[in-house]
Amino acid sequence: MSQMDFFLSRYREMGWKYIEPAVKQAIRVNIMNVDENALLRRLEEHGFKLQKIPFLKSGYWVAEARFSIGATVEYLLGYYSIQEAAAQIPASIFTDLKNKKVLDACAAPGGKTVQLANLMEGTGVIVALDVRQNRIKALRNQLERCRVSNVIVYQLDARKASKLGVKFDRILLDVPCSGNFAADKEWFSRRTMQDILRNSRIQRDMLAEAARILKDEGEIVYSTCSLEPEENEFNIDWAVKNLNLEVVDVDTYGERANTEIFGKKLSSAIANCRRIWPAETQGFFVCKLKKRRM
Amino acid sequence: MNGILKRFLGQFGAEAFLPKEMIIERNGEFFLLSPDLKEISEKNAWWCHAGTYLGKIRDKRFSPSFPLLFMIVEKAKNRVVVDDKSAWLFICGRDIFRQGIIQAAGSIMRGSYTLVLNRHGECLGFGRIVKNLDEASEGVVIKNMFDLGDFLRRENPAKAKSLNPSKF
Repeated sequence: MSQMDFFLSRYREMGWKYIEPAVKQAIRVNIMNVDENALLRRLEEHGFKLQKIPFLKSGYWVAEARFSIGATVEYLLGYYSIQEAAAQIPASIFTDLKNKKVLDACAAPGGKTVQLANLMEGTGVIVALDVRQNRIKALRNQLERCRVSNVIVYQLDARKASKLGVKFDRILLDVPCSGNFAADKEWFSRRTMQDILRNSRIQRDMLAEAARILKDEGEIVYSTCSLEPEENEFNIDWAVKNLNLEVVDVDTYGERANTEIFGKKLSSAIANCRRIWPAETQGFFVCKLKKRRM
Repeated sequence: MNGILKRFLGQFGAEAFLPKEMIIERNGEFFLLSPDLKEISEKNAWWCHAGTYLGKIRDKRFSPSFPLLFMIVEKAKNRVVVDDKSAWLFICGRDIFRQGIIQAAGSIMRGSYTLVLNRHGECLGFGRIVKNLDEASEGVVIKNMFDLGDFLRRENPAKAKSLNPSKF
């Protein structure tokens, strides 16, 4: 059995039949820097045709473009970010971000950090971590271009975030993952189950560290662009059973996650997670966890 | 406020308006912090970016960030507004020709520094005036010192080629 057949058979077992994805390019308006309608008019004048993404507040698909959407003066002015539609979901499902202390645990290249800053309307504090120097450079460029003023950046592994000695109200855990075939044409030949299990262990360590530094009743949003249950449902099932966290239902795009996968019965709360199979968006998994009061 | 930063702002006729107690210099880079950020930055002093990045010292000169230029747009006396074609060429790294200037304010004398704005009043960067604007009738009058296209050039030089001067 080829790697591709192996993975596709797993997806079939989870109830998804392969269709060729047609992932659309998307942007998100940085509403702190520009009036949304004024920006849309300007982009239309440049010949871009934009289509509102129904499940996002300030997200648009680029339906038609005469040149790169990343080569406009409006982009350079930080009026919008190029951010895939599914990737815009995690930051949008937090409750009440204003004036909060927020950790963006795996922040680079910073698309979601800027989105958080917009949702917070520049209030509160975002602590952004990334482990790699070159990725921090990209993060800093993004913060500068989008004129974000409430972020502090540390070069730090998310598994060591308690080193900061800070308790957070909200934590975004957009963890490093195995990715998916919709975003990488070579994915099937590149990935093995060993990669997935290794990533899963790292992700559990990140979840455990996040639970330690989260305030009571604080929220973690966990997301991956992986389709593999070992990095998604199984990790969240483990977190619910071991980390004093509960899965909160969210009203967003995607289908409810299965509570029985490959013969393994999971907590019924896993149905509150959202799984997005590749189509107009890339593949994605997202859920919101809340820390129970001790 | 640090002298070099103050001198830079003075070149544009911008008043020193930044609260000096909230500016932190680190390894030649300057940041403007909110009180909340300052608290965390003092607790964990090994951060690599905090608040609004203002710019850095490069070759003994102050090299501003774009957030700083945007912050001084309202305060700066020296500014020129350019037409669409010149605006696009400027962010492609080109200099400004006299014919492209729609409006000029503040010092228009050779050697002065001036902000370059598009017709929407948005700052695209800054330049040094190389010919008195009231005397020159053609040719390059403002040398490009720093422009928005820098974001693409520093991130991905190949991608920066999409800033094609021939678009106009």
